[in-house]
Amino acid sequence: MIEEVVMRQDIPLDDFLPIFISSAMVMVFGGFYVGIYTAVKVKLLKKWTMPIAYVFWMLTAYCLYLMGSLMMVGEFTAKALVVAAIGLFLLPHAVYFMQHQVHEENEH
Amino acid sequence: MAKTSVWSDNRFWQRSAAWITGFSAVLLIWLTFDTAGQISMGTDADLQNGVTKRVPGPTVINYKISYEMSTARGHEVPVIGEKEKFFGRDDWSEEEAGALLHLGKLGSQVKNCMNCHTLLGNGAYYAPDLTKAWLDPAWQNDGTMQAMTGKDTKEEAMAEFLQHPSTYPTHARMMPDLGITAEEAKGIVAFLKHMSSIDTNGFPRNFGKIKGAVHGK
Amino acid sequence: MASNHLTGIGSESKQLATWYFTFAAIIFGAQLLFGLVAAIQYVMPGFLFELLDFSVARMLHINALVVWMVFAMFGSVYWLLPDETGIETIGIKVGKLLYWVFVAAIVVVILVYLFIQVGPADETSIWFIHEGREYIEAPRWADIGIVVVALGFVANLFLTGTTGNRSGIVTVLMADMIAFAGLYLAGMFFTDNISVDQYWWWWVIHLWVEATWEVFVGAIAAYGLITMIGAHRKVVEMWLWIEVAMLFGSGILGIGHHYFWIGTPEYWWEIGALFSALEPLPLVAMFIHVLYDWGKTQGGQDATGVEVSVINNKPAFTWFVLNAFGNFLGAGIWGFFHTLPQVNLYTHGTQFTSAHGHLAFFGAYATILIGMMYIAVQGTNGIKVMKHTKSSLWAVSMIVGGVMGMTIALTVAGYVQVLVSRAQMGATWAGYFDGQSGMWFAQAMDWRLLMGAITFLGFLFLVKDLLSTGKNPVHER
Repeated sequence: MIEEVVMRQDIPLDDFLPIFISSAMVMVFGGFYVGIYTAVKVKLLKKWTMPIAYVFWMLTAYCLYLMGSLMMVGEFTAKALVVAAIGLFLLPHAVYFMQHQVHEENEH
Repeated sequence: MAKTSVWSDNRFWQRSAAWITGFSAVLLIWLTFDTAGQISMGTDADLQNGVTKRVPGPTVINYKISYEMSTARGHEVPVIGEKEKFFGRDDWSEEEAGALLHLGKLGSQVKNCMNCHTLLGNGAYYAPDLTKAWLDPAWQNDGTMQAMTGKDTKEEAMAEFLQHPSTYPTHARMMPDLGITAEEAKGIVAFLKHMSSIDTNGFPRNFGKIKGAVHGK
Repeated sequence: MASNHLTGIGSESKQLATWYFTFAAIIFGAQLLFGLVAAIQYVMPGFLFELLDFSVARMLHINALVVWMVFAMFGSVYWLLPDETGIETIGIKVGKLLYWVFVAAIVVVILVYLFIQVGPADETSIWFIHEGREYIEAPRWADIGIVVVALGFVANLFLTGTTGNRSGIVTVLMADMIAFAGLYLAGMFFTDNISVDQYWWWWVIHLWVEATWEVFVGAIAAYGLITMIGAHRKVVEMWLWIEVAMLFGSGILGIGHHYFWIGTPEYWWEIGALFSALEPLPLVAMFIHVLYDWGKTQGGQDATGVEVSVINNKPAFTWFVLNAFGNFLGAGIWGFFHTLPQVNLYTHGTQFTSAHGHLAFFGAYATILIGMMYIAVQGTNGIKVMKHTKSSLWAVSMIVGGVMGMTIALTVAGYVQVLVSRAQMGATWAGYFDGQSGMWFAQAMDWRLLMGAITFLGFLFLVKDLLSTGKNPVHER
């Protein structure tokens, strides 16, 4: 399970800034994705804005990819990052699904 | 309430939370047992027989320590070499070395090293990291710190500095006088030498690569 | 279940809560003052040299942080217990006695830190001066005292919870607080092996800050949503359990990201990387949850045709929303970008950690605890709808602006350190000082000091507002 190549190569100096920015953007875009999704569902935003939420998720996934490749992560960490990306994708759906169900049961 | 879905059932989630928490905790405890075995301190016999421990025994102070690239692991690891005198002796017994390390570790806590320096990278960021301070080019025979104290060996130079830090202003940010006695200084230097022999998975990376003084010789 | 959270007057538990909040606010002030001293020392290294050195100022800074948060957490629990259980807290007399024991111990510890500072390298110093282990420096005698006080507190909580109505929130708090108190024991022993030392030290620090404290925040947020906007209890409590599962599920093994470089085996790289990647998810979830419940209840209100805000405590709700956002920002973003081992190798032990620490402690904990103080002010003064005042708005904007400013300045400083001291110079003494003397680093420290001062001014507004707003006629009674 130990990653053979985990730290074998140094990160080039010029790559540090893109790494920090892309990993911050992962969370920023991820925040926009879940924020817009939730806002549409509770009718704070119009329905047509929903595709924008998914665009933000794609940006998140891209930033994760960018960050991972610049960091030269091994296979295991790469898989962990994919799991995180999918988890983030499903999260607001799951939250909405469950919350909606409880509200339905309790208010009708 | 007849057709309550499992997804909106409080008790389902309560149980899930309990199971997940319990499972994680058990896993952590199991890993802790494994790690505890791997980071327990080695013995003098280990050192004599060349058994590599992540945290060697206190008598490691009788040996030369260097920090070298391991091709197998892809990063630097501490390497314990031939005998080396520490305060004029290379025959510190297990008890003596243990007592010295004990004093040094106590000193490192009581003198509050960690609230300016980092130890193994943890602590405050007001002063240099001490993880591999023993191997630092500045303290070697031709290093600036050793030259400043006028001592002939690394350990004496470090001990002298620790006792009278404000006499040797190295930077605008000076180390304060913490009332460290000669014996305590010896202990703290032993603690630093011991810490430099701990296998930290290659942290700090490229230590001393500019000066090149550390790799081996 | 509590009929109304405005029944603060007359409850002894709530009175004790206000004592806890008062002392917490005083220590919060001390935290900021000693932080300012340390920040000045970065800019003017001679400041108070050998009088109140950086090590002492910083020890007081971070210990005061822990202490005021623990006080405010205990206060929050004593505040919400009568509401949640429907009865007066059992053993409140003992609780009040323990409060004074706790306060006295803290005062003695602070005086010893200030005036004795260091002792000889022996066990006596560990017992009576301090233990020199970041965040949990408290001397051994105080450790034992803290455990006794914490056990008394947990006993009160358990007796009240099991006798009265044990709501979901109370159940979570009971489980969480016993873990919180028990974990402290992991940090109470001495060992010569620094790797073993730090291994257990992280059990206290990490399992507090990234597990039990986060769950505590989840429980408090649930209470706040119910009392402030009338969110549906069943929804909130179900969500709380999901949060507990997510927080403990990612947080407990997330401890791996502290075990990359302290002598522990390499397998912690994988464990740390995996669970660190998951750790932001519950923070995102908590964020959606607040937004969702707010949108839902406000939507329900708007549907009745009457345009009224559902929020009955504007300043507290502001701090709660800042909490959801700050948790995501400080613990999420600032945590995530240096958590993977590949990059942590370079960022570990730099100002990045400091930037993350400032924003995460503030965003995840300070905000919600300040919010609870506002809820207490509302309750003790019998206010129906509490509004913002000029001071409360100044406090929010200056504290938030100041902490954000400090965080950004420290992030810049950390970036300089990573490039100069770590990637190029390999973390030697020479490398360290090269990084520290860089122009960007020096300027970042100037900005940090300025932003720290702004934070402190904001704190003064906060104190003024907390003391005066209860009598302000703008609120609806």
